[in-house]
Formats: sequence, C-alpha cells, structure tokens
Amino acid sequence: MPRSGIAILSLLLSAQLSAQTPPDWTAVNLALTDTIVIPAYGKFAENATTLQQQSASFCSDITPASLVNLQTNYQLTLDTWQAMQNIQFGPITYFNWNYRLQYWPDDNGTGARQLAALISSKDVSVLNTETFARQSVGVQGFQALELLLFSEQSLALLQGDPYQCQLVQTISANISEIASGVMQRWVDEFRSTIATADERGFFESAQDATIDFLKATVEPIRTLQRQKLEAVLGENFAASRIRRAESWRADRSIRNMRINVASIDLLFNGASPALSSVLPAEDIEGINASIILIKTTLDSLPDSMAVVLQSEAGYNSLKQVASEFDALYELLEASLKKTDLYLGFNSLDGD
Amino acid sequence: MHINRRQLLGLGMLLAGASSWVVGKDIPGQASLFLSAAADAADGHWVYGFTLTQTNAEQMFKTALPARAHHIAVNAQYGFFVVVARRPGTWMVLADLHTGNVIRQIQVPANRHLFGHGVFSADGRFFYTTESDFADMQGDSGRVVVWEVTGEDGVATLTRMQEFPTFGVGPHELILLPDTQTLVVANGGIRTHPDHDRDNLNIDSMLPSLVYLNRYSGELLEQQFLPSQFQQASIRHLDVNADGMVVMAMQFEGEPFMEVPLLATHLRGQPLQLLLAPPDVQVQMHQYVGSVRFSLDGRYFAAGCPLGNMVTFWDSHSGSMINSIRARDGCGVCATETGFVFSTGTGRVAHIDLASGTVTEHEAPEFNQLLWDNHLSSVAIELSA
Repeated sequence: MPRSGIAILSLLLSAQLSAQTPPDWTAVNLALTDTIVIPAYGKFAENATTLQQQSASFCSDITPASLVNLQTNYQLTLDTWQAMQNIQFGPITYFNWNYRLQYWPDDNGTGARQLAALISSKDVSVLNTETFARQSVGVQGFQALELLLFSEQSLALLQGDPYQCQLVQTISANISEIASGVMQRWVDEFRSTIATADERGFFESAQDATIDFLKATVEPIRTLQRQKLEAVLGENFAASRIRRAESWRADRSIRNMRINVASIDLLFNGASPALSSVLPAEDIEGINASIILIKTTLDSLPDSMAVVLQSEAGYNSLKQVASEFDALYELLEASLKKTDLYLGFNSLDGD
Repeated sequence: MHINRRQLLGLGMLLAGASSWVVGKDIPGQASLFLSAAADAADGHWVYGFTLTQTNAEQMFKTALPARAHHIAVNAQYGFFVVVARRPGTWMVLADLHTGNVIRQIQVPANRHLFGHGVFSADGRFFYTTESDFADMQGDSGRVVVWEVTGEDGVATLTRMQEFPTFGVGPHELILLPDTQTLVVANGGIRTHPDHDRDNLNIDSMLPSLVYLNRYSGELLEQQFLPSQFQQASIRHLDVNADGMVVMAMQFEGEPFMEVPLLATHLRGQPLQLLLAPPDVQVQMHQYVGSVRFSLDGRYFAAGCPLGNMVTFWDSHSGSMINSIRARDGCGVCATETGFVFSTGTGRVAHIDLASGTVTEHEAPEFNQLLWDNHLSSVAIELSA
C-alpha cells in the first residue's frame, strides 16, 4: 500500500476511534466546576456581601438617592444569582437554600403573605441571621427584598417604618450568608465529591455527575419557556399578565432571561472540555445556532417585560422567543436520545 | 366460568405464592422472575420479564405494550400477569407468566380510566383495580372494580363483576391485608379528567385518605386522613407485611420547601405513624416517594425517590431511616431474601444486601437504553428444563 494510502487509513481509523471513545466525564465535570461554577458562585457571594454592606448603612440615611443605590446593588446581586439559578443540584439544595434565596413562582402568594404578617408582627427577635434562617422561606430572599425595595411606596414605607428597613438589612445579610455558604461548600467538599464521582460515593459515577450538569443546561429551557414566558403571555395579548413575570417589580424580567440564556450557553460551551462534547458532534452546530437565535432576540429587547407587553407587536416577539425555547429544548432532547444520558423518566411526571 | 389449573397447563409450571425469592442463589430449576414496564430509546413501551444471576440479568421475554404502563400484578395460581396502563389509560394486557405472550387486552368502559394498579385475591380468583368515574367532578369519584378470573377457551380472562366506591378521589395503589378479606386503598385525593390530560384539578382542596374495605361488599371498615397541614400529601403507594402493618408512600403537592412526611405506617384501629427522614435527606427527597415495599421479614421497607435520585431504607419498628443510596431516577423496589432489588429510569437494575449495604449491579445487553418504570414486581418460578 502506498504511504499516502497508509496515512489516509490511519486518519480514518483515528477518527473512528475518537467517535467511539466515551467522554472523559471527570474532566468535563471538573472543567465546569473549576472554570464556571465556583467562579460564578464566588461572584454571587461577592455581590451579596456588597449588598449586605450597603444595606447595613442604608437605614441610617434613607433618601431617594440611597434607595436607588441600594436598588442598584440588589440588581447586581440578582444578576449573579440569575447566572446560577439553573444549578439546582449540590450545595444550593442543602437546607432549602435554593428556595430561601428565591421562591418563585409563588402561585399562592405565600411569600407576600408571610412578609406582610412579619411586618405586622414587628417581631425584632427574628432580626438576626440565625433566627431569621428559621423563618418562612418566602420572607428570606430576593422576592421579599424586591417587595421591600421596589414597591411604589418603598421609599415612604422604609422611611416611616424602621422595622421594614431592618428587614431589608436582615434579608440582605441572610442572602449573603447563604451565598457564601454555597460557595464554600462547593470549594470545601462538593468539588471533591465531583472529582471522586467514579468511586461511587454520592454519585453513581462521573457520568452521573455530568448528567446533573446537563440537567442544569436543558431543564431550565422549559422553565424559561413555560414559567418565565408562557405563564405571563397567556392565550393572547389581552390575557397577558405582567404580574406573573419574575422580578416584575424590579422591572427586569427580560434581563433575567438574558442572563439565564447566557448562563446556559456558558455551561454548554464555555468549559474545556466542553459539556457539549458529550453530545453527538453533528448536533452541536444546530443547538448553538438555536441558542444564538434566542440570545439575539433577547438582546434586541429591553430589560422590562412590562414595556414590551405594551404592544401586541411586543407580545408577539415574546411568543416568538417562547417557540424558540421550545425548538432548542427539542433539539437537545433529540440529541440526548442518541446517547445513554437520561435526564429523568420516573422523576419527570410522577405517576 | 372459573378457570382451573388443568386448563392452564400449557402456560408453565409455577410455584404458588411469593415466599421464596432467590436472587443470586443457584437453586437448580428455580428463580425469581422480575417484571417491569419499560420504555426504550424510540419511545416504545414494553413489559420485560427477567431473572438475576450473581452479577447479571437474563431477559426471559419482552412484550410490546400499546402505551406506557405502570404496575404489573401477578396471578401465580393461574400463570399469568396483568399489566395495567398508567393513568389515565384504559387498557390492561394479560400475558403468560412463562413466555410473556399476550393472552388478551382488556378495555375499561369509555367513561372510566385506570390508575395503573391492580391486585389479585390470595386465591387468584378475583382481581381488583382502581378506577375513576371521572364524569363525577364533584363527589368521591374513586372506584374499586372487581373482576373475576375466568376462562375463554381455556385461556384466562377477566370478567367485570361489580364495583364499589373508595370513599375518596384519585385512588391509586390497592393491596390485600393478610386476612385476605380486606382491601386497603390509597386515595390520592387528586381529581383529574382525561380532557385535561394529567393535570391536577383540585390541589387546594384535595383530601387524600387510606381506606380499608371489605372486598366482597365494599363496606367501609376504616378511613384514615392525614393531619390538615399535610392534606396536600397525595397517598399513592402501599405495601403490607405479615403483621398487617401498612406502609404508605406519598407525593406532596404543596410548597416544595415544606418538611412533610412522605411515608407513614398504619395498623388497623390505630393512628397513622408519620415518618420523616433526617433533615438533610428529607429535603433531597423533593416531596415524592414513587414506590414502597416491605422486606420479606416485614420489618424493613424500601422507598424509591426518583426526584431525589435515591432509594431509602427504613426500620418499621423505630420508624427511622436506616440507609439511603444514590440511584438516579430510582423507583421500582422489590424484596429479596437478603434485601431488595431496585430499578431506575436510567436502565439500572441492582440488588442491595440490607445487612451489609453491598450493592450488586445486574446488567444485560438487552437492557441497554431501557428506562425502567415506577414499579417492579416479582414471583418465584420454576425454570423449564
């Protein structure tokens, strides 16, 4: 056989072997952990600390300017939480930390009701982080803080009611404590759990851990489609309800979604080796094209869903985004079906 | 016409009863036959029968199903099993216990649907299913339907005989007490209607209950309700031990962060014993236990938690959780002589020795890319020579 023929044959065999070689699950998991997850939780903890510090001095000087400043810090902190909202495994699930940071959607209005009751009670004994951590989940996190900082009457209420301002401080401190706790647990223990996943401790295997990262990439797409969009849009323009939107008081519902999609993109593509490498190579271009399409659409819209929903054209643009999310989910699901990576069966729809 | 054993000779020899699970042991000619519904990568639905050797699994048969199923009830006396459609399905498939060959498919009436569960009487002559009289959208629409095991041309069939109310809504699993006369029914409390697919229509007012019924007359013998703060814990799955202790598994439809007992035990005439796992495990159960089974000695039970990606093990004497193991999408559980076999929606079948905690994987090439469904059943069989 001529040398060129041998070279071609070698390349073909090499390509075939590469196609058959399973991913290095541990390498993927640690790349995600070290270059994306832990740094992102670090930023969240950092911003939450700043928010806490700003809150601490806020109550002694409540002015329109200081409220705007605190709102800005809230926004920045929420940005970094939204970037991690899709991670719903590991330390964030300890002690209900995920719900204590943000319980949404709150279909029964539990949080608002619990906050109103707490304000009425003027119970100062709960105004320390240790006791506050044992209060109702609905009063502990971003939703309650948004109510206190972004209601139409917030300035007057905070100026007139010291207890409400103290609640702002306590909730901010609580968020900061949780953020730091989550970050530290990833660094101190969960990274090690992921690194040793093949030893069948917490995880069944390293592949099992990768599935959790995949779930964090794929399942939030349905949340974005159904909860963050379709539940707000309703059957038609007349039926749309902005108050069903996440962060509607802070007027940043689309900003949240933009960050969520960027986070999904980062998780899917941003590590080396990338999470995308565990799916069939022929599917990646289409999936990424779909992500880019959604990002482009969301980038063209303002932060505020209320503004977009002022017109039927805006409503239709959001309907379009919802269908783009659906298409992206279908692409990912179809790709997963070609593998032995199962995100859930019995767990997806009970019995 | 009642069917007798002579008429079923062609279907294989069977050991009566369910007392000799022999997983992993080499007893010549005997094995435990495990049965489970499963989906494949092409969204096909099947029932698989398989046995387990020391470290492998051996497929005995696989049978195509019209749609996704749920639980499989075994009639060891007459050598067949019934696959019940997952709610709100309307079909049951009867199949040969030895070959898996379909005997017949039975449909429930057009104004009813099934809930995925059924149980045979101890003598194998009657079969009980839970159904919804879904036209009744106001009252207690749960029904137990009594079927007689009869024969057509020497082949088993089920003949619909009578029905009685379950005194609740959304009845799910039902079992027989050791007295062989008393049915125990899990009223899930959730109202659904086929026009709304599987949507839950009454979450704010649901009222689950555990009921004991005379299996002949349908007389209500006892009814237990959960404390009001746990009213949204839908009672779905049951098992009973030789002492008549019932264990029930629940799915909580309320706030995801509430600490709610998802398991409870009960003895006739006594209050419910509500059980909680240690806090760090309880929160990971994500408000859902998908199946529950007692150990053979009746002291311990295993509870599959698919949302929590684990199977938990409990001591019924103390009410405490004694162990939990990671099992992604783990749900189906079945008792063996030394512990439990469990199955997962990721295609895994494994055995845990309860005393040592040792987990042994059982694999088969045919099981690649299979998604095992919620429930696992088993029966002792004699293998053909």
